[in-house]
Amino acid sequence: MKVSDLLESRRANWRELEDLCHRMEGRSRSKVPARMIGRFSALYRSTCADLALSDAYQLPPGMIHYLHQLVGRAHNQLYRARTFDTSTWYQELFVDVPRRLFTDNCLRLAFCIFWGVFLLSMGMAYTNPRFAEQTIGSNMLEKLEDDYSNTIGGNKINSGFGSAMAGFYILNNTSIGLKCFAFGLLFGIAGLYVTVFNAAVLGATFGHMATIPQRENFFHFVTAHGPFELTAIVLSAAAGMRLGFALVDTRGFSRTASLRRAAKEAMPTMCAAMLMFLLAAMIEGFLSPSAAPYWIKAAVSIISAGMLMFYFVILGYPREENAL
Amino acid sequence: MLRERGQFDTTIEIVTPENIAFRYRVAGPFRRLPAYLIDLVIRSACFVLGAVLMTWLLGFAGLAMVGIGVTLVLWFLLSWFYGGLFEAYFNGQTPGKRMMQIRVLTIDGQPINGLQAVLRNVLRAVDMQPAVFYQVGLLAATANDRFQRLGDLACGTMVVLEERNWFRGVVRIDDPEAIRLAALIPANYLVGRKLGMALAAYAHRRDAFSWGRRLEIARHLGEPLRKTFSLPPNTNLDLLLCGLYHRTFITDRQDDAIPTGSPFMETLAQEEISA
Repeated sequence: MKVSDLLESRRANWRELEDLCHRMEGRSRSKVPARMIGRFSALYRSTCADLALSDAYQLPPGMIHYLHQLVGRAHNQLYRARTFDTSTWYQELFVDVPRRLFTDNCLRLAFCIFWGVFLLSMGMAYTNPRFAEQTIGSNMLEKLEDDYSNTIGGNKINSGFGSAMAGFYILNNTSIGLKCFAFGLLFGIAGLYVTVFNAAVLGATFGHMATIPQRENFFHFVTAHGPFELTAIVLSAAAGMRLGFALVDTRGFSRTASLRRAAKEAMPTMCAAMLMFLLAAMIEGFLSPSAAPYWIKAAVSIISAGMLMFYFVILGYPREENAL
Repeated sequence: MLRERGQFDTTIEIVTPENIAFRYRVAGPFRRLPAYLIDLVIRSACFVLGAVLMTWLLGFAGLAMVGIGVTLVLWFLLSWFYGGLFEAYFNGQTPGKRMMQIRVLTIDGQPINGLQAVLRNVLRAVDMQPAVFYQVGLLAATANDRFQRLGDLACGTMVVLEERNWFRGVVRIDDPEAIRLAALIPANYLVGRKLGMALAAYAHRRDAFSWGRRLEIARHLGEPLRKTFSLPPNTNLDLLLCGLYHRTFITDRQDDAIPTGSPFMETLAQEEISA
């Protein structure tokens, strides 16, 4: 059979497949009629067969190139991107993640570094006023002192102010967390730096604020959302370090394979951290600046700390079936 | 890695579940940068539109502060999850990628899932360092053979070109001299696979060359062929190659028997009748 006749006989099929590809590219999966999908897959199989036999048919290179592209295009329509598999989210977030974190050395390291630097910095700032000035900068200090000079829940609260603040905290704090996570990828060094930096600044702030007259207002403000926010920062730093250290200690895999394994585990952890940031932002936006009495804020703080303990220790405690 | 796989250009081969191997070209930085810039414009436009709409609508309702809060959350979502959500729900493409005809796939050529889409876009924060100049990402992309930036490496994804190529059949040879030369070629002369490929490559591109250049290129293959066919020395070698092409691809070939139908032709025809 002549090549030109062969091409002529297949031409209609390929054209039709092209046309179907074009029509399917514009639609979401559910809107494609069943008959079209059936026809599409039949044409796809036939074109695959043509490509497989193109060498035996001695097709010109241009035609083979065309077939490669057509099959590739159709392949991407037949096998479409899976979206989020929500059925596994509960299992992942409340069963797998806490258990993994319970034995995660990166989390232990991030926890020790963050709280170690935080406490150290706090102690330094408490005993030596110049330390806070050098760490945070005098401009920032003045702004902080100014911010907390009014009683919390005073005159500046109007309707909806809380939601604007909550929006700001979602944007600002979660972005810091995500950056902390992403920068961990650079061998964990950048992640370590961000963690130490945040811990030092936060610690110095706490230490300094405890020495000045505005401390009442300051602690009134930070108590309620503290547990969620600080835990979320530590968690995102730990998830980032998991990525970075996977590049260093590969456990026998190639570096990219080791990174891929770590990324699969780190992403759900980061989701948990984002959830905590969200909760913290809600509390920080609505409850913390409100005029609610201190004991309510303290109670929220204790309850959220208790929830975190439940999540990390009780849900995370190694089970029998884990040993299998 | 490059040497092990014997790859010397940006083409990669993928084996599908149908056991067919087909080829993709990996998209390089010059495709991906315009796609990113288009997305940046769309993202900014969405933000401005959303912000104006929110503050205006909620401002009327006396909730201007809520409007600011919603706008800030919108900014957060757009800056971190724009790419991830689009790639998850639009089959590995953002609007910018779609315009540049590129698509994100896993390194096995399979579609990506939602987590991969989100993670590779969150890790963009590292790739675009320092500031927004993408040097980390470029450095990572040059170090592997699929142009993967760090985010792609961590998720096992890559960006491929999805070009639309038009159907080009065989080249029609109209020159009577070429047809005459085709008739002079001995009937028992067999054109092998490689020679066929070379002839087709020449015939498809000869229109782009000037007269003198054609002769210069055709000489390398045409001169030995002329001697084999014992044609006179003043034969036009360009047209000789065209004649051989014509005989191989357009007029009948006696040498081998190719099955007339595709294996799926019958099913296709049946479906057409039933449809």
